[in-house]
Amino acid sequence: MKKMKAVIIFALALFVTSIIAQDTPDAATILDHIDKNERFNTIEYTGEFTVEYKGKTFVKKFKAYGKGNDDSFIEFTNSEDRGTKYLKKAGRLYVYSPDTEQVMLISGHMLKESMMGSDMSYEDTIENEKLSKRYNAVISGSEIIEKRECYVLDLTAKKKTESYPKQKLWVAKDNKELIKYELFALSGAKLKEYKLIRSEKIAGKNFPVESQLKDLLRKGSRTVFKLDNVVIDKPISASIFSMRNLER
Amino acid sequence: MVNSTTALLVIAWRNIWRNTRRTVLCVIAVGIAVFFIILMRSWMDGMFNGIEDVVRTYDTGHVSVVSKQYNEDQEYYPVQFPVEEEESANVLINKIENIKGVKAVLPRITSYATLFDSTKKHALVWGVDINKESSINHLNLTEKTNGLIDGRFAEDDKNECAIGITMAQKNGFKIGDQIPMKMVSAQFSDKYWSPVITGIYKFDYSRFDEDTIIVPIKRLQKILGLNDATQQLVIFADRTSHSTVIRNELTNLLSDNSHITEWNENYWVAMFQSMTGIYLIIFAVFQIVAGFLIINTMFMIVHERIKEIGMMGALGFKRSEIVIVFFLEALILSMLGAAAGAIVGGTGSLIWSLYPIDMNSLTGGAMKDFPISGTFYLDFSVATIIEGFLFGVIITGLCTLVPSLKSAFIQPVEALRR
Repeated sequence: MKKMKAVIIFALALFVTSIIAQDTPDAATILDHIDKNERFNTIEYTGEFTVEYKGKTFVKKFKAYGKGNDDSFIEFTNSEDRGTKYLKKAGRLYVYSPDTEQVMLISGHMLKESMMGSDMSYEDTIENEKLSKRYNAVISGSEIIEKRECYVLDLTAKKKTESYPKQKLWVAKDNKELIKYELFALSGAKLKEYKLIRSEKIAGKNFPVESQLKDLLRKGSRTVFKLDNVVIDKPISASIFSMRNLER
Repeated sequence: MVNSTTALLVIAWRNIWRNTRRTVLCVIAVGIAVFFIILMRSWMDGMFNGIEDVVRTYDTGHVSVVSKQYNEDQEYYPVQFPVEEEESANVLINKIENIKGVKAVLPRITSYATLFDSTKKHALVWGVDINKESSINHLNLTEKTNGLIDGRFAEDDKNECAIGITMAQKNGFKIGDQIPMKMVSAQFSDKYWSPVITGIYKFDYSRFDEDTIIVPIKRLQKILGLNDATQQLVIFADRTSHSTVIRNELTNLLSDNSHITEWNENYWVAMFQSMTGIYLIIFAVFQIVAGFLIINTMFMIVHERIKEIGMMGALGFKRSEIVIVFFLEALILSMLGAAAGAIVGGTGSLIWSLYPIDMNSLTGGAMKDFPISGTFYLDFSVATIIEGFLFGVIITGLCTLVPSLKSAFIQPVEALRR
């Protein structure tokens, strides 16, 4: 009788464990979900970002296009920056400035610079490779963020050259949406903090249409990004991503 | 009374030559201390004056006006917080120039730039009206010139710049080259431009020679979206002593948005001024150490002449007169030593003040972060010599009070029995 009881308990434990295991995906699967949610063939949107720094607020408006991982084009439309354009092509970032009327390649140490006074660096804009390819992940726990249950993932870079050797992600358990992330230096110092404010269902993806980024090295600064008129996977002419368009 | 004092003085004078070797040693000890004090004081004054000149010329003028927010973050040179008053910058400049004692008001903008060049990644861009600056100040404080060694400074509103000699040498820049750079505007926009190098300067001040690109302020105002606003108004007075009056006038004229500072509130100036007290203590210690030789000598003299003191007392000398004789002996020794030190120290500082001291090679570049020219001169001043002399006499004189007073407590009868 005792043997029978032990067998039943063991079987029950195995069943419960297997149910829990099915409910808790591993870290790699969660990263895949995030990657899939943020992958698209093409994207087109108008956007604005608001930089708040030391009590002053600056709003930048732009029109952006993207194609796959490699090509993107942004043109600023607000009065102070009208005509400033950025082109990312084959992993290189170019800028056209109406002040100099010439195209310049942003490379090396320039990539660490803040883009348009925002909390985002040029480097942040050109890194489009999938997270699952760049980082090893482990689930370190679960937390409730913005009233949503989240997995907490600790990411460690596979390559030493990665801009942020460590990341910490908070991913919603219900739809695997990236709610928050923190970027760290090799020393463990927290460099940046991202928070999702609002997302919309666009072309079957949970698209982050409003978010906030804080560069913690800039005292009293934050940037809020808002994207409108997002169109995903609609063909975009290759001429948009050309040097000629940049100089036009 | 006068005759009596003169008589005591004559006795003291004769007494000090009763042992010439001892007297000479005392004079040399005091003299060395005074010599050292005068030379060190001239060195420090030369260095401090150099720092004050650099701060006034490049940073604050006699009085500086910036916005309060800029003042909070001034180490980053933000251009987002220009001077904000009801009037435009030009009207404000005219108003301030009408204040009595104001020689000139210079608008300035300083901002960081990221260079595309990979050797020199960052630089300071200094937007000034270079003609006005040159007419008010010697930009090379060592040679008293505008500092230009090749070409010319940039013309107003042109896409031109002048760079320092060290920057040119380290990066291989020459006249006619362009320096592509990125700056952040007042509206937080990325601004890219490539001014052409039209001149190379040498200010003999490493912060400028190595790191600073001088551009016309009008051009920089356009690039940074400041219109005619400026980040700083630097006010030069007819005389340094007018600074406080001008500052008070400005406090009444300007709103609470503006932050007004006098040149001597600058961090480095205030720090070095506060160090003067510490140096005085160090000098006093030197002088007291030299004074100990005289104290020792006086104790020996009092001991040696104990019978003589008894005799003086028996002959009717008052205690105070005996003390005065010994005190005058000590004082004469101090004065002779201080005079010798003052003459040698004064001559030394006069000669040394004619030859420049190259701080860069002397310190191996360790003074790079200090606001001081690479070269400075010792400050020769008669006041320093007189101060050194008086300092020597007073400190040493005070030291000899104790042994002199000892002579007053010797009983004549007991003294004669020894």
